[in-house]
This record gives sequence, C-alpha cells and structure tokens, in this order.
Amino acid sequence: MILHWSQIYRVWRRNFIIFKRTWLLSLFWIVLEPLFLLAAIGFGLGAYVKTVGGLAYVDFYFPGLLCTTSMMISFFEGAYGNFSKLNSSRSVGGGAAMGIYSVILISPVTVPELTLGELFWAASKGMLSSIGLLVVGLFFGLGHTPRILVVIPVLFANAWIFSCVGMVVTSYVRNYDQMIFPTSGLIVPMSLFCGTFFPVNELNSILKSVIYVLPLTHSVEIVRKLFVSGFSVDLLINAFVLVVIGILVTRFALRRLAYRLQP
Amino acid sequence: MLNNKNTPVASSEATPVASAEVPTAPTWAAPPTLEAPTWAAPPTLVQELALDARHLVKSFDDLRALKGVSFDVRVGEVFGLLGPNGAGKSTLVKMVYGHVQPNSGDLYILGMNVRSSSREIRGRLGVVPQDEGLDVELTVLENLMVFASFFEVSEGVARARAYDLLKMMRLDEYTHEPVANLSSGYRRRLAIARAMVNHPEILILDEPTVGLDSQVRLWIWDFLKKVKDQAKTIILTTHYMEEAELLCDRIAIVDKGQALAVGSPQDLISVHLGPQMAEFEVAGTEMSYYLNRIRERRFKFFTVGSHIYVPFQAESDANELLTIVNSRRIAIRRTTLSDVFLHLAGHDLREEPT
Repeated sequence: MILHWSQIYRVWRRNFIIFKRTWLLSLFWIVLEPLFLLAAIGFGLGAYVKTVGGLAYVDFYFPGLLCTTSMMISFFEGAYGNFSKLNSSRSVGGGAAMGIYSVILISPVTVPELTLGELFWAASKGMLSSIGLLVVGLFFGLGHTPRILVVIPVLFANAWIFSCVGMVVTSYVRNYDQMIFPTSGLIVPMSLFCGTFFPVNELNSILKSVIYVLPLTHSVEIVRKLFVSGFSVDLLINAFVLVVIGILVTRFALRRLAYRLQP
Repeated sequence: MLNNKNTPVASSEATPVASAEVPTAPTWAAPPTLEAPTWAAPPTLVQELALDARHLVKSFDDLRALKGVSFDVRVGEVFGLLGPNGAGKSTLVKMVYGHVQPNSGDLYILGMNVRSSSREIRGRLGVVPQDEGLDVELTVLENLMVFASFFEVSEGVARARAYDLLKMMRLDEYTHEPVANLSSGYRRRLAIARAMVNHPEILILDEPTVGLDSQVRLWIWDFLKKVKDQAKTIILTTHYMEEAELLCDRIAIVDKGQALAVGSPQDLISVHLGPQMAEFEVAGTEMSYYLNRIRERRFKFFTVGSHIYVPFQAESDANELLTIVNSRRIAIRRTTLSDVFLHLAGHDLREEPT
C-alpha cells in the first residue's frame, strides 16, 4: 500500500492541535520530574561520588536522564495515551463510543498512515520533553557543546522506539491496570540499569549481554559520547543497533494496529 | 460490471438523462461529425451504480453475520436497509467503508471494488456511524476542520464549508464549544455535518435517529429530505418502519444476514401483500377454525404466534372478512412495511432475532 505522507502529518497534527492548548503547562510538569531527579541524584547524591569513568557524577548522569525522559514520555503517550483512542468505551449517553482511531479510518486515512502519525506524535512529545530538559540543563552548565544538535535526533530515535513499544503494549492490554506489567517489568528496569545511574561495565557478563540488547543502553551511550568525547566509530555501532531495533518495533507496531483495526 | 439483473434498470434510468441533454445538443453539435458518436453510446454504460453487492458473506467467529446478500443502489436514490438489531445492517455498512472485509462475494461502490480501492471509496463517502464517533478532545468547529483535512480539503474551503454546515445544522452558537457540552440531538447533527464536510457522493447513515427524541428525529428526517433533493445518494440503516417508509425510494428488508426482499415501499407492500390488512388475535383452540374459514374464501393469510394476518385488495373483501371472522379484536388498516417484514421474516421488526 502506498503511504501518503501528508496524511501521516494530518494525524500528527490532530494531536498537536490538542497539545497546543496547554503546551507550556504540560511541558512544565513534564520537565519538573527529571529536574528533581537531576537535583537529588545528579547534584545531591552525585556530590558523594568522586568520579565515574573520569566524569563528575552529574555529567555522567545527565545523558542517561535525557534518554530516560524521552523514553518515559513517549512510552506513556504510546501506551496510556493511545489506549482510549484504540478501544471503544462507554459513552456519556450509555452507548458504545467508538475509539477515535476507528473514526479517523472512516476518512481516506489508512491504518499504516494512522499508526505512523500516532507514533510520530508520541515520539515528538518524548523528544520535545527531553529538549525541554536539555535547555534547562544548559542553565546548570550541562551539555555545553555544539554536538547538542546531534543529540536531538538521537533523542527522537529513542523516543520513536519507545512510542512503538507503547503502541504495541496498548494493542495487547485489556485495561489500564495491565499496563503495570510492561512498565514495571521493562521500562522501569531499563531506566535503572541501561547505563543510566552507573556504568554498564559494573554488571557481570550475562547481565551485560542482556543490557546491550536493550535500546536505551545504546541511546545513552551515544548521547554520553557526544557530550563527553565527540564523534567516534563505535557511535556508528550504537546507532546501527538503534536503527535495527527501530525498524523491528515499527513493523511490530504496524502489524499490531493492522490486526486490531482491520478485522 | 452490470449484470443481467440491472440491465432494465439501466435503460430506464438512462432515458431521462438523454432527453435532458437534447436541448443543449445544437450548441454542442458545432462540429457535428465529432460529437455524434458520443450521443450514440449505448445507454447501459451511462448508468452507474452507487453500490453493487453480490453474494456478500461475512462470519465473525461463530456468528454468520451475512449469508450471501445481493442488492444494488442507484446513483441519486435514498436506499434503506430495514431490519431489526443484529440483522447484519451495520456489518453491511461497515463493509462499504472498509471496516469489515467480506469473506466472499463482491462489493462495488461507485464502480470500485472495496477490496482494492478502499481509500478512493472512502474519499467519496460521508459516514455517520451509529455511535457518532465524535472527537471529544476537539471543539465543534475543530471536529469538522480536522476531519476535512483527512479528506484533503484545503483549510480555507474547509472553514467555509464548516461554517455553512454549522449554520444549516443550527450548531453555530456552539462553534467553539467542546463536543462534550452538546446534547445528544446536537451531537447527532454534528456527526451528520461532519459526514458532509467532504461533499460526499454517497451519504451513509447507520441508524440516524436511534435514541433521539421525536422532535430531533423529525428535524433530521426533514433535513435528509432536503439533502435528497440535492440528488445525493443516501444509504441508511434503520429498524424504524416509519423512517424507511418516509425517506426511502427503495428498501432492502434484511433479517438474519439475508436480504429478504428489495423494492420501493409501495412495491414491497403490493407485491408481497396488498394495500389493506386485517389483523386479529385468536385463542389457540380457535386458530384452525378461523384459518379454515379464511381458506374457504380463498383469502391469502399468514400467522405469527396467535395473530392472523389477512392482506386484501378491495373494500368488499373487508366486509366479507368481518362477517367470517366475527371477532371483536379484528383491526382493518393500511398495510405497512412492518407487515411485509413480519410476513417475510416471521417475527416482528422490534424483536431481537433468536
């Protein structure tokens, strides 16, 4: 099937219209949480840590926090945000209210266009949030390098992957409660162990091989290397892994939505 | 794509088209040798069907929703799918806009196959789903604007159309209100407005007045009659006999996944029954006695439960019936589509099929 990119944009734009009304307030609250973490862990706890791999702890931690933020926001937008759009629910009047995805599909928009538009939106929100944090970080003397411009697309790629993961999750769960399983079982552990709070090298070899399959590890490594040491060849390996995982999860999300929306 | 069944329809429809064009012929005829062949084109090619369903079958798990449904809808007519809840009407309608795929059989919309041209088809449809499906996160105006964008209607055109539609639907004072603030009648009107924002060639309404109070229902019927005058094709599903009778040029009577009969309301009544109907209820023991008397006089009849229905033609038949049926409970009345449904399906329109 041929994709009309303009339709993907229009699906994205529907979300943007809604977000636009409260964007400043939304972003404030979204950025507040990682900011508290930055203060308490990065600067507070970090003061007791001498150095990690030759870095001040806060410099080590900040790239991890950026990627975790982009992961969390896009995952939650993809999972919780999309659940009520995908599923029909009880309406105010008592009848069944069809999910907005089914409504959009009355128009010439196709299921892949709808899916990509929604993924693009969840990823945009994740990226936007981490950019908010990035900007705040500048005021704390973090990330003062022109390579910050390369960091942004990496944060977007990371957000895209987790918006796909969120979409896949929401296509399987029957209610909001069930989302606790992938959240506690996958997302939270990733935010803790993928080289965010401490170097992956501290782990034993079995755990390390598991950690290197996970996308967040590679996003964090790329961002950290860009902040600290600049471009290098091993960045390409990390980027390659991200691209491969990105393609796989995108295809998975597309397949799940096609299954759910085309009976 | 016209089959034998449609051919007479096609030729009868083509005649007025040709005659309407005749007065303009001289202006067109300036280079006569070039224009002449155009007029000589066979009339069957001129006729286009809005919808052509052939032996549609659809099963959901253990439920056979459609069991080989065939009918067609001509361009410009108001076509009704009349049947009780669960008859398969919504499944049929969802097939038109591609939310349900047929297991077998073919469905052509405006000459395009739903299997291969779903996007093109949807671009030319306006759909009012049964549960409205409004975007509750958007305002009234945004609902129209965003939906128009999906049909690639440019923003300026969409805005102009949206304001026109809101005025026409008496929704203009709610233009910037969130949809959640609207009452059910206004929500339905907004859903209809949204379905028209792309200037559809076919307007599809799934149970357009279900769950509305009679005032709103009358308003919507009135509105649809006006749309009908603009020669748009309208396909609606309903389980209200009055709605079908009032609005539709032709009707398919649908029950348990089958189209039992197709025709204009008048034809369905005259072909299957007759203009008048006598209905009476008898006790179980008296049933055979009455049926014998009716049979002796060569009346047609059918029974549903303890009710006997006797369709008839002339006033004299009514008098004869009154003498042989000697029951206080006999009702003589005009035959309705409900009677046709009852006759064909063996149960009431309002009953859920078992």
